[in-house]
Amino acid sequence: MSSTKDFIVEQLKEQISGFKAGIKHETVGRVIEIGDGIARVEGISEAMMSEMLEFSPSAKATGDKKTASGSVYGMALNLEEDRVGAIILGDYLGIKEGDEVKCLNKILEVPVGNGIIGRVVNPLGAPLDGKGEIQADKFYPVEKIAPGVITRESVRQPVQTGIKAIDAIIPIGRGQRELIIGDRQIGKSAIAIDAIINQKGQNMKCIYVAIGQKESKVAGIVAKLEQAGALAYTTVVLAGASDPASLLYIAPYAGCAMAEYFLDKGEDVLIVYDDLSKHAVAYREISLLLRRPPGREAYPGDVFYLHSRLLERACKLNQEYGGGSITALPIIETQSGDMSAYIPTNVISITDGQIYLMPELFYQGSRPAIDAGLSVSRVGSSAQIKAMKKVAGKMKLEAAQFRELAAFAQFGSELDKDTKAKLERGKRLQEIFKQDQYSPVSVANQILIFFALINGLTDDVPVEKISDFEAGLYKYAASSGAKILKDISEKKDLDEKLEAEMKSLIMDYKNNLDYLIK
Amino acid sequence: MRIKPKQLALSLYESVDGKSPSQVKAVIAKFIELLAEKNMLAKEDKIIAQFIKIWNEKRGIIEAEAAGANKLDKANIKLLENYIIKLSGAKEVLISEKIDKNILGGVIVRYGDKIIDGSLKTQLEELKSKLVK
Repeated sequence: MSSTKDFIVEQLKEQISGFKAGIKHETVGRVIEIGDGIARVEGISEAMMSEMLEFSPSAKATGDKKTASGSVYGMALNLEEDRVGAIILGDYLGIKEGDEVKCLNKILEVPVGNGIIGRVVNPLGAPLDGKGEIQADKFYPVEKIAPGVITRESVRQPVQTGIKAIDAIIPIGRGQRELIIGDRQIGKSAIAIDAIINQKGQNMKCIYVAIGQKESKVAGIVAKLEQAGALAYTTVVLAGASDPASLLYIAPYAGCAMAEYFLDKGEDVLIVYDDLSKHAVAYREISLLLRRPPGREAYPGDVFYLHSRLLERACKLNQEYGGGSITALPIIETQSGDMSAYIPTNVISITDGQIYLMPELFYQGSRPAIDAGLSVSRVGSSAQIKAMKKVAGKMKLEAAQFRELAAFAQFGSELDKDTKAKLERGKRLQEIFKQDQYSPVSVANQILIFFALINGLTDDVPVEKISDFEAGLYKYAASSGAKILKDISEKKDLDEKLEAEMKSLIMDYKNNLDYLIK
Repeated sequence: MRIKPKQLALSLYESVDGKSPSQVKAVIAKFIELLAEKNMLAKEDKIIAQFIKIWNEKRGIIEAEAAGANKLDKANIKLLENYIIKLSGAKEVLISEKIDKNILGGVIVRYGDKIIDGSLKTQLEELKSKLVK
């Protein structure tokens, strides 16, 4: 008993004698104005741009309502002649005029590392899921200049989203920035979530940044990811609708900093920003409160730079620099289909293509409501695997011809046989592009069904039976055509032998069906 | 255009710099006349505060506040003065003393927006947080 006591005393003595308290040099200022989440601070003449500041709410304020550590962090944004404009990252209600503000001599940074995988964190890296402290390997600055030209290479590996319409006609490559744009409530987030779920076993880390989303919606998404086993490689960064604008503003940068940790290790990351229109609104709020001059739609002058510097950080690095990649899927919400508003046009011009979701298609029941005409991918097709390229090339043509003819055929006049056949095939194509939420399709299966379509093997399947046909085909292929599927996903190309095998597989399957048109 | 107290203080400094006492008296009389003319006599406090600031800045004088648990003796103040001069590169330091029993021991020096915290209280708190870890 006494030996442990001695041991403790000994340890204590050792610790105390080893303890050397240096004299602390600090730069402090005083709050001269506070309100709406921003503070003006006098003093701190040596503050850096986006430096972390520590507000210490005076004892009286914290006495009755104790904050976690007793202090609140802020970030310097406006450096003026004799004062600093700062945003407060957290609860600003305890801060009073005259309170002390300390410079922390470091740029705002967030914890990164493998410890954040599977967690729900706020933009400062604090856990929100009640699973305990975050084990951080390192801290990364929130703002960082994007990788330069020398370090990059062009996109060459595909991101398999598991959504047939996207993987076929608007393919996304690793390191690409593909915008998802559309009105509210027509499945923008659903596409991103499906893409995350389909990354299982694809060697991808995923980061989902929720900006200004309802916490109930995010809770639902996290539950869904967990259920699908996707949380094992996904981090959710949450700045909810009730969080101050300052947190909404830094959320995507913080998410990107977390992604950059994996990028630096040479890994591939998929990051979803849901959504950037709310981010722009949060930045507008901050800018107006900091008295920066408003421009078009009251957004500040640097709202383009706001998004361009974020999306430029998505990249594909070449082998010399580790070969990692960050693929970004920003989401923009339009107001009643207005793509020519300020923020949508900005982000469209920054990204490498967009997936446009159409309300009409959504209400007709063709979900995901992707408009194949307005959606493009500027770089992704070079990343498609050869087998997919072979079938998708013809599909694009079919889809384009169908759109043209469908508009024409509305007048109801008699059509020649050729046109009729094209229309019939187009209807089946549309049917194949329909897909339920949370049910991604593997590449091999996608290639199989597209192969059936372009070779006319679905022409005798009634349009309303296409989804049954498709589901049955996948099941049949899994049991009797496993070798073919394996060949497709391993060779990544179609040769004549494989094509013949696929054809006979589909014909065998069709022999068992009773609903074919004779 | 409205002239700011800071601008007035700066021009006052420039016009009295290097003048003899009798000249200074004349300049100040003129200056007061100008203030009256511009209706700015009420801003006197601000102008004086700015003037002191400019004066100190131009002459390299720093005003510092040293807070100790007990009264500091002359030798220690001299040491502190030299220390601050070394840190800030100022020519002269004016130290005003303050007694604060709360800090237990040591001294806290403030000048401009800097704080040099050498108090026993802070060191004990640091020791506490280190031991808790």
